[in-house]
Amino acid sequence: MSGPWSIHRAAAPARGWPPDYVLMTGYFLTILEGAALTVAVSLASLLLSILLGLAGASAKLSGRKTLVAIATLYTTLVRGVPELVLMLLLFYGGTIGLNSLMEAMGSEATVDIEPFSAGVATIGFIYGAYMTETFRGAILSVPRGQMEAAWAFGMGRLRTFWRITLPQMIRYALPGFTNNWLVLIKATALVSLIGLQDMTYRAKQASAATREPFTFLLFAAGLFLLYTWVSLWVLRRVEARYSLGTKRGQL
Amino acid sequence: MNQQLTALLLALGATSAMAQSADLKVAIDPTYEPFTFKTADGKPTGFDVDIANAICEQIQRKCVFVEQVWDSMIPGLQAKKYDVIISSMSMTDDRKKVIDFSDKYYNTPSRVVVKADVKVDDNFNGLKGKKLGVLKGSTQEKFALGELKSKGATIVPYEAQDQVYLDIKSGRLDGTVADSVEVGAGFLAKPEGKGFAYAGPSQDDPKYFKYYGSGMGVAMRKGDKLKGPINEAIKTIRANGTYKKLNDKYFSFDVYGK
Repeated sequence: MSGPWSIHRAAAPARGWPPDYVLMTGYFLTILEGAALTVAVSLASLLLSILLGLAGASAKLSGRKTLVAIATLYTTLVRGVPELVLMLLLFYGGTIGLNSLMEAMGSEATVDIEPFSAGVATIGFIYGAYMTETFRGAILSVPRGQMEAAWAFGMGRLRTFWRITLPQMIRYALPGFTNNWLVLIKATALVSLIGLQDMTYRAKQASAATREPFTFLLFAAGLFLLYTWVSLWVLRRVEARYSLGTKRGQL
Repeated sequence: MNQQLTALLLALGATSAMAQSADLKVAIDPTYEPFTFKTADGKPTGFDVDIANAICEQIQRKCVFVEQVWDSMIPGLQAKKYDVIISSMSMTDDRKKVIDFSDKYYNTPSRVVVKADVKVDDNFNGLKGKKLGVLKGSTQEKFALGELKSKGATIVPYEAQDQVYLDIKSGRLDGTVADSVEVGAGFLAKPEGKGFAYAGPSQDDPKYFKYYGSGMGVAMRKGDKLKGPINEAIKTIRANGTYKKLNDKYFSFDVYGK
């Protein structure tokens, strides 16, 4: 007697054909597509975090009480709350808050914060705080005499920063910056939890659908490793370029 | 004059064509083989997806599928992230309080699935100490918490039904309570389902009606004007043979039920 589980399915393969690895390649390709999205999220967040980091560092070093207070509040708060909590807050809380605001103002329209923007905004915002501290330390390491000489030449504050401080600061900022960048890449996996179909999301789906968690999650881990390896190579070249003419200290 | 008239008519025709093919955002939870799942290249497929496409063809809108985790299906609908839910949602009284449903488009009972050597009688005795996985926010979860917890079973909620099967495979769970057709195709028919079987009676007894409702329907926001056209579409596809064609593609019996 055919029970409810003897089901014809057009999509169901007969045992043995097509072979599993043919079916699996489809999943691997999907995960690779997700990798492109992961790279996009991480690069966009990096840009945002660098901008916020430079702004925050300048605010903290400006000496003006209000700016210092705002920047300190920013770094303390953001570094003290888990990234996942902030992301869910922005994605769900933010959408509901914005929609309630619009309803209160009498508008019928709805705002939908989509996962990509929410993810980039959150991660950029969080790592901006870490970058603030990295850049602040790096700027403090540039000898004050450099800036005084620039002012003596008549250079304005912005030009001094751009032509004199920044190039020298990069060398000091790079170790901390590399660290922040690598952690940022891994943090992008969190956007999978707000529904963005990145590498982690697709690997999770593939592993659940095929009951093969090891295969697909290891593949995703391998792709992350590849990404960080390439980043490290690039940043090493940058460090070499900006260390030209300096002597290395030995402990 | 003639040219202007033609241009005007063309523009009207174009805008009305555009209005007709406005996108209908359909929410699905693609972890529910064979009703809603994804092929390896990420395309949504399954009975629910095919029914959705057939309904969209009838009401002349383009179906755009939006993936959503099951337990945030209804909040997402109310937050207007999508227009309808066509993802095997049971029409229970609790849900009818917050959303509207179309007429049913299929009805299959749920069952307990555990290892074949576990003896379970008609009142679900025999499950003492067993860990059963259920989908968070599903009617099966309500049933399990209401009826099986008192018999000594431990009920563990999961975000997606296919994660339940992953944990059964890894040994963390002893079984599940799920739609009989879904667990049949998604678990029992697969290698990891070997040695498991249905246990206890089919849960379509009237005394379990408060958990399961009256079948699966298309969910939409309260007062949505789509209800009429969608009901018409369901009637049409049942009458003109489209429903039977989709039914036979996946099942060897009539899934419409009583």
